[in-house]
Amino acid sequence: MNTPPSFIHAMETSAIGEWMRSNLLAMPLVNAAHVLCITLVFGTILVVDMRLLGLFDRSRSVMKTSDEMLHLTWGAFIGAAVTGVMFFTANATTYWFNTAFRFKMLVIVLAGVNMAIFQFITYRSVVNWDRNSPSPRAAKVAAALSILIWFSVVVLGRLIGFTKGYDVEVPASIDFDFGTP
Amino acid sequence: MMSLLEIAKAMDVTSLSTSLKSITWLVPLVQSVHILMVGVVFVSILMISLRVLGRVRMDEPLSRTWRRFAPSLWGGVAVMVVSGVLLVFSEPVRELMTLSFRLKMVLLVICVVSAVVFGRRMRGAASVTAVELPLSAAMRAAAVVTLVLWIAIIFLGRAIAYDDSVWGSWSPAILQRGGSL
Repeated sequence: MNTPPSFIHAMETSAIGEWMRSNLLAMPLVNAAHVLCITLVFGTILVVDMRLLGLFDRSRSVMKTSDEMLHLTWGAFIGAAVTGVMFFTANATTYWFNTAFRFKMLVIVLAGVNMAIFQFITYRSVVNWDRNSPSPRAAKVAAALSILIWFSVVVLGRLIGFTKGYDVEVPASIDFDFGTP
Repeated sequence: MMSLLEIAKAMDVTSLSTSLKSITWLVPLVQSVHILMVGVVFVSILMISLRVLGRVRMDEPLSRTWRRFAPSLWGGVAVMVVSGVLLVFSEPVRELMTLSFRLKMVLLVICVVSAVVFGRRMRGAASVTAVELPLSAAMRAAAVVTLVLWIAIIFLGRAIAYDDSVWGSWSPAILQRGGSL
């Protein structure tokens, strides 16, 4: 295996990494908190996406629906990131070289790009379609992409567990290691 | 009468179980769908509970918030249960022989029954248009308890994989391995 960058090594040998590996309850609790935060991120974003797609809350204000979710989504995202980093420190080198992990990080960046394009371009005209009129096509595309992206994030997250084998036993027949070093 | 272990072992050799195990990408995919549906269900419950607590959607009556989130709640529960059953069939012994799984099922039944009862009350309320139910202290307390129970369900779901670390000698998984951690 290649040598990871020095900060990866520093994370792995840090006190948090050591605590994550040695405390019997650390892994299950941090893991469960991570999943809880992810269900919140996905669920709250879905409420806004459904409004943009016009499938639910059609007559309700887009701005109000979105503002209500904002704190919950960001709070949950920060929670997911913090618990995710704690996870990462426990086995930083392995995660660093895991292809599913790298794809997951890439797709989260894509989620950010999709959100930024929506927020800074499409959303500027929101007063025109806030209530009682269908969202513009760009908003619907952003909503559909957002659902697809977050679905992929969860699938890739699950694949990390299967390729690494730290939280589930990988049967010998399974090879999810897409040619990682 | 068959013991739970015998039932699990019988499930393990069903054709459903063997086909689930034979397709390598199927289990992580079903797990991902399961997690996302937990997100849909949890956020539906969260929105209804926060409305009961007066924190969101105060621009609409509670019965309307219920009508918005009841379809995603029940649709989510349906997919969650189906994907959950598939996951149990993919690893019957590993699931059924854990305290986390058993507790999770008990809490899930309590939560689903209480949602059905709440839905009945809301249907009654919806027929009396414009009349808002007074949100009693008992109802607000029930909203908080429901949220705590759902968070416990999510934690227990993740704890299945770590049953012996979390529960120690209370975990049936330990007895099954001859009593060693």
